[in-house]
Amino acid sequence: MNGDGDLRRALQRIQAPDELDAQRRAWSLARAAFEAREPLSWERRHRGGLLAAVAAAVLLAAAISPPGRALVGSVRDAVTDEKVTTQPALTSLPASGRLLVNSKTGPWIVQADGSKRPLGPWWQGAWSPNAEFVVVTRQREVAALDPEGNTRWSIGRSGIVRGASWSSEVNPRDTRIAYLNGRALRVVGGNGREDKELRRLVGISAPAWRPGAFELAFSTVDGRIELVDAESARTVWRTVPGEIPKQLVWSEDGERLLALGDQSLRVLAANGRKLFSLRLPVGPSGVVFVRASHRFVMVRYSPATGRSDLVLLQAEVDPGEARFLYSAPGEFGSLAMSPNGNWLLVGWVNADQWLFLRLTAAKVQAVSNISQQFGVETAGKPLANTFPETVSWCCPASP
Amino acid sequence: MVGPGRQERSWIRGAQAGSVSDLEALFREHWPRAHRAAFLVVQDGAAAEDIAQEAFVAAMRNLDRFDRRRPFGPWLHRIVVNRAIDWARARTLRRESSSVEGTDEFDTGDLGTFSQGIAAGLASLNAEHRAVIVLRYLLEYTPGEIAELLDLPRGTVNSRLRRGLDRLEAILDREQA
Repeated sequence: MNGDGDLRRALQRIQAPDELDAQRRAWSLARAAFEAREPLSWERRHRGGLLAAVAAAVLLAAAISPPGRALVGSVRDAVTDEKVTTQPALTSLPASGRLLVNSKTGPWIVQADGSKRPLGPWWQGAWSPNAEFVVVTRQREVAALDPEGNTRWSIGRSGIVRGASWSSEVNPRDTRIAYLNGRALRVVGGNGREDKELRRLVGISAPAWRPGAFELAFSTVDGRIELVDAESARTVWRTVPGEIPKQLVWSEDGERLLALGDQSLRVLAANGRKLFSLRLPVGPSGVVFVRASHRFVMVRYSPATGRSDLVLLQAEVDPGEARFLYSAPGEFGSLAMSPNGNWLLVGWVNADQWLFLRLTAAKVQAVSNISQQFGVETAGKPLANTFPETVSWCCPASP
Repeated sequence: MVGPGRQERSWIRGAQAGSVSDLEALFREHWPRAHRAAFLVVQDGAAAEDIAQEAFVAAMRNLDRFDRRRPFGPWLHRIVVNRAIDWARARTLRRESSSVEGTDEFDTGDLGTFSQGIAAGLASLNAEHRAVIVLRYLLEYTPGEIAELLDLPRGTVNSRLRRGLDRLEAILDREQA
């Protein structure tokens, strides 16, 4: 090296990836934090003492830029922590519909009035269209139950059964259920008949039905996303290999598909074309579409700070500026959108709370003691081991 | 450490009084180097953005409590670099317990050979050594100031600097040979 000056110049020429966009995102966030701060009074400022800032959940208001505005549409600029109300128990849902909660003790149904009932000794469940039935799985069995927990039909299988997903009603009363039997992908009619294998070896993620069609998205063992016509078993399209997703989520109109992995998010169009992808920090994450739109909310965990953010993006070629909705220390788990699209349920694992964020006004309702309310004793156990894994909020009105 | 310039004091005063344009000027002045410093230490684009973002958010939240007679940069850089070191250490631990992780490639497309060599050399150092080199040569602090920012004895800073530079030099020599 020829001296300090060379080294200085060399370091100054090395750029971080995506510097300009990162600056744009950071400015939105910094400005929002500044506007949400609690200004000191003149007296306190001049007393010279440092007082601890208390901000348990920081609201990160939003990008005021035109792209940001276009992105959020009807979603309000921010959900602030100024109006958080906390209840010790779930006494009602803030919007109509019913929840299907996959707790550590099995699936539960929660009515709009807050009443809850377990569906019995099953491991996981998923709604049928219109919430008339629930498909449930345990060990080597898949079954359909009515909401009272009565079994309508049941099938035994050779492998461990999981990842069951019920299609939409493509023709009147005509539905399909997809599930994984070990590593094989199978499909059965909604009436429990005509069970068949679609693929012998697939990735570990639960398959996802494209709304309005008997087309099923699943991951292959090498991390491709494949769309298969479940009637003919024909491949509609298949992507190039990538990270094996842990979650596949369709937009309501079936035109967008999110493939969320541990370290990346791929956003695909209905024809399999990749619109964009994001690299994610290692840590908990999740996605849910805003009703009747291509906008989606994503959990983004920061290992550097131990906080989780909820950000709003757009499943288009231009994802727009990430819009920060809410932030809190620790991990967010399950996400569910209310049928009317006004409320977002967020599982806040570290606080053992569900947060109901009203997206059309700055309001948050928190409900505590979630693990216990679904039959799990929390004493001496990490909350990550007791908190419900997934929640779905049924059902959006038919278009 | 050198005190803040008149312009910076004016931005801080304006921001404390609620001026968004002064806040933005302060942000634009400090973001690029803070972000780049985080990236050079952690060598991961997403993490660097998170770290620099969080540092700014913390700074903005507490701006009213900031003593504007002091320079803003060291206050911010202390947060950024210490968080970056913590993150890199945590990643090293994760790597030891699993095979996860990869680092971002440096964007070396337009760089000269020397900068590419520096990038490669930095990647071979541990986070603590990278941090002192970044503080010294990118952010231009003296060893005494670095010792204060990282809460380290000055001798430790000097030895890390020396070892880091030796390593970089060796790598550059190897590449030129």
